[in-house]
Amino acid sequence: MKTRDIAIRAGRSLKKAKARTLLTSLAIAVGAFTITLSLAAGDGGRAYTDQIFSSNADAKELIVTKEQPSAQTGPQKYTENSSNMATPFGSTSVLSQDDIDTIKKVNGVVDVIPNYNPQVKYITGLNQDKYIATITIFSPNVTLEYAAGSISGNLSDSEIVLTEEYAKALGFNSNQDAIGKSVNIVADKLSAPITEPESKIFTYIVKAVSSKSGLAFRSQSSLLISENSARTLYDYVNAGTRSYDKFLVAAVRVDSAATAKTVKDKLTNMGYFAQTAADILGVINTFINVLQGILLGFGALAILTSVFGIINTQYISVLERTQQIGLMKALGMRRRDVGRLFKLEAAWIGLLGGSIGSGLAFIAGTIANPFISKALDLGDIYLLIFNPLNIISVVVGLVLVSVVSGILPARKAAKLNPIEALRTE
Amino acid sequence: MIEVRNVTKVYGKKDNKFKALSDVSFTIPRGASVAILGKSGSGKSTLMHIMSGLDKPESGQVIIGGRNILEIKQKEVDRFRSRTMSFIFQSFFIQANESCYDNVSLPLEIADVSPSRRKAKIIEALKAVELLDKMKSRARDLSGGQKQRLAVARAIVNSPQILFADEPTGNLDSITGAVVEDLLFNYNKKHNITLVVVTHDPDLAKRCDIQINIKDGMIDKITGGKQ
Repeated sequence: MKTRDIAIRAGRSLKKAKARTLLTSLAIAVGAFTITLSLAAGDGGRAYTDQIFSSNADAKELIVTKEQPSAQTGPQKYTENSSNMATPFGSTSVLSQDDIDTIKKVNGVVDVIPNYNPQVKYITGLNQDKYIATITIFSPNVTLEYAAGSISGNLSDSEIVLTEEYAKALGFNSNQDAIGKSVNIVADKLSAPITEPESKIFTYIVKAVSSKSGLAFRSQSSLLISENSARTLYDYVNAGTRSYDKFLVAAVRVDSAATAKTVKDKLTNMGYFAQTAADILGVINTFINVLQGILLGFGALAILTSVFGIINTQYISVLERTQQIGLMKALGMRRRDVGRLFKLEAAWIGLLGGSIGSGLAFIAGTIANPFISKALDLGDIYLLIFNPLNIISVVVGLVLVSVVSGILPARKAAKLNPIEALRTE
Repeated sequence: MIEVRNVTKVYGKKDNKFKALSDVSFTIPRGASVAILGKSGSGKSTLMHIMSGLDKPESGQVIIGGRNILEIKQKEVDRFRSRTMSFIFQSFFIQANESCYDNVSLPLEIADVSPSRRKAKIIEALKAVELLDKMKSRARDLSGGQKQRLAVARAIVNSPQILFADEPTGNLDSITGAVVEDLLFNYNKKHNITLVVVTHDPDLAKRCDIQINIKDGMIDKITGGKQ
């Protein structure tokens, strides 16, 4: 008997028992729904972290500290030659200019930029209102979205990147209006005696205004200037203080993303603690994978339950159709074909359940996506990504699972003695 | 030609041993109509099952078309059955939820007849039993006589050489039963196929060329024919 004819007959006998077929496949649909959603959430989550990553971190950059920051268990004894710096986590060894120079000599390292974090007093613009500001170094390798203006390559030393909020606060009519205008940053010289405070105005031209983005962590809070400008600011503010030229963290730029790992290993051997951007992303992705794994586990559990549902349904079906099976065998239908008839019925149930579940998951996810993004303030990024290949694999996988579940009942049908079957009167 | 040689069938084991058939031998010429006559439990149904390869006896041979069907593989027996034999049962065994068309289509599908060739055969068979107008009706909506006529259509659709009928009129009243009987005997004569009727009804048996009387698993007597 041809597979096509068997498949048609299988479909027809399922149509006869509509309610039973639908209920059995709904059990599978629950599993399909869960699995499709968790795959979509995993894909969406990873895509989201990838985007966060490229908006905030630089694959060609390593974050280096003197040693792994660790919580101290108690007060540390003071030693004369230790250059410790108190942090909220305890005291940590800091990187000195010597360390920076040593790291610069490592093969593959292009540049070492200590985290200057210049502490400025305030920023003023068009309306002369004073605002507190955080200054960060611009990196050409971090993707930024611009509301106005743009930057190709690096920022020059006299330029600054504002955020939309600052552009507004500083009194510019629009983001575009701010471009080319100057802003002033005022910084205090920390080493100046209290009685004779000393401060200086640094003027920058606005080169671009970065737009509000659901991805970037720092773009809303900090203003970007070039590395040299940051160094100038830092020198002015910190020169003469005890912490001058001692850095908690330094960013190490390497020549390519591929060498980041080798450089990391070298620095680790030299006693530094280095983290590549991929390390940081890896931690986030591990978290997503664990969550996704838990969801998939629930889906698998639902499918395991539905497997018993299929076996049960198909067993009952075999019992109900004893005569039909007997007749088909009497008419010369082969055992293998009788078995295939019942396996294909199970396959139909799996296809139906898988399609219903995945379809509902797709519809529900597509409807929910804008709401999730709004609730989590992600902008135009969707957290559920439905990959057609994933949906197809879920449906195909469930058809296979159903066929496997159908094996036992199918075997019972195939083994049925036609004489016994036809005697049931 | 069907040749049954020294067929013995035993059910049960040891103390519960029951000989359903013992040393049964006879020959049915091609195109004959044969009645296997006997009371309930005489072994007549078992004999039909063995002749059609559905059941295997402990010993003996069933030779159809020069081949001993008891010695060939199950796969071959199934193939043989789907191409050369067909059955009619007392309780019809038609699929109530399927259309008449699909009911008649089943043997053709089993025998791997291509879809394009099926339709003409099905229409011809339904025409022969005067059910063409019911082609698309569901089988459950038919009357008892119509159901058995549908079973006849299903039995003749693939032009079998041997047609087994197990109490074909057992569930029908005399009028509708007579219609089904006429159908079977007309088909037997017209197409020169072998018709084997298993029955306990002497009147039906009388219409056959040969009557094989079975009693307690043995041949009581054979009447008619040229033996």
